[in-house]
Order: sequence, then structure tokens, then C-alpha cells
Amino acid sequence: MLPLSLLKTAQSHPMLVELKNGETYNGHLVSCDSWMNINLRDVICTSKDGDRFWRMPECYIRGSTIKYLRIPDEVIDMVKEDAQAKSRNRTEMNKNRGGNSSQNQRGGRPGGGNRNNVGNRPGQGYRGAANNAMRLGGAAGQGNRLPHAAKNRK
Amino acid sequence: MSGLESYINHTVSIITADGRNFIGTLKGFDQTINIIIDECHERVFSTTSGIEQIVLGLHIIRGDNIAVIGLIDETIDSRLDLANIRGEPLGPVVH
Repeated sequence: MLPLSLLKTAQSHPMLVELKNGETYNGHLVSCDSWMNINLRDVICTSKDGDRFWRMPECYIRGSTIKYLRIPDEVIDMVKEDAQAKSRNRTEMNKNRGGNSSQNQRGGRPGGGNRNNVGNRPGQGYRGAANNAMRLGGAAGQGNRLPHAAKNRK
Repeated sequence: MSGLESYINHTVSIITADGRNFIGTLKGFDQTINIIIDECHERVFSTTSGIEQIVLGLHIIRGDNIAVIGLIDETIDSRLDLANIRGEPLGPVVH
């Protein structure tokens, strides 16, 4: 399980974030990105020595300043469901990929093994592109991945 | 494959750059050694009293802050008499 998938699953849950400078931030996770930058709501900031407090409605924390995050125990069980669903999708995609690559090999053979190879290179590249397009199409076929596929295409 | 893969779902000891010692079950990691540690405890060393264990729960520790990850032998660890072990706390990493 990836730390950032756990963090993503923890969205809307309360958490404690300790920064490298020793300050801690208690709040509800609104959003996070792949750099661990995070948005918190209803935040209480505690100074390093623990004797000063600040309340703020929201804050944004740069990922690189974080030391650790403390997350409610139950969140880890919620990721497992996500991960299982994803790995199921992945095996299906791999099946598709296997089909594509064997087609690719069959197509590649006539050109392989002699000087004609050089002439065939653009052809292989083209085939590769077609293959990619098919892969994107396959991903789009799975409803929940549609936004990703759309993004990739741009 | 990273050497950490074989530590997954085992008890590990993490020493962080600020000199703290976390013990817990390694549930996951990524390429920057951010780690997920479940049922996390902190062991606080002191020269005047035994080791204090603080229960923390589920943690994500950022890779930047990790100095050492070690595999714990649970049978040996459970034999430790923490209340009677004294030791200097570690200092932070000095750059």
C-alpha cells in the first residue's frame, strides 16, 4: 500500500500533522496531492513547545515541510477496499495489454532480423502509437477511469 | 525491488532524523521512503527511568525524516523488560 493512497483515503478525516519545525496542525484533511501538499479545515496549530495555540478556519501545508501525519486507525481498512478494486482493474488491463503485445509481435516479425529493419522502424513506431490509443480506449471503457484517460489524451 | 518489500507486515523500528524511535508494523512505502506504520508506538529513552512507550496508532512518516528502518525480532523484543532499560535519548541528525 502506498503512503499517498492512504493519505488520499484519509480525506475528510481528522488528522494530526507534525512539521519538521516541531509545530503540529490538527484538522480535517480537505485535499492532498502527489507531493503530499495538503489542505486542512478547522485547524488548531500548536507551537513546538506545546504552550501556544492558534485556531484557523483553513490552511495549506507544503508537503516537504511535513515530518509525519497521524491518521485515524480505521482509515487503513478503507484503503484495502480501494486497493483491491484497483488491482482488479489492473489485472483486466494487463489481460488486454497481453493481447495487444502479441499482435504487435506478429506484426513486427516480417521486418525483423535483416537490414529491412531500418526501413520498418517508422512502421513499428506507428504501430506502437496505435497500441497506445487502444490502451487508452480500453481504460476509457472502465467507467471510473474515464477522467484519467481524458486527461492523458490532452 | 527495494529491500523494504520483505519488511512489509513485519514489526520495524524507525529512527527519525529528530532522534525519535518508532516501533510498529510496516504497511507500505514508496520511492521516497515515505512509510505507513500501523499500531505505532514511540519508545522514549531516559537515563533516570525505564523506557516509556507511547501509543500513537496509524502514522505516515515522510521519507525526508527517516534515518534508519530496522526489522524487529518479535520474540526477542517481547522478552525485553522495558521498564528496567535505561539509555540516553538520541539527539537529532546534525547537518
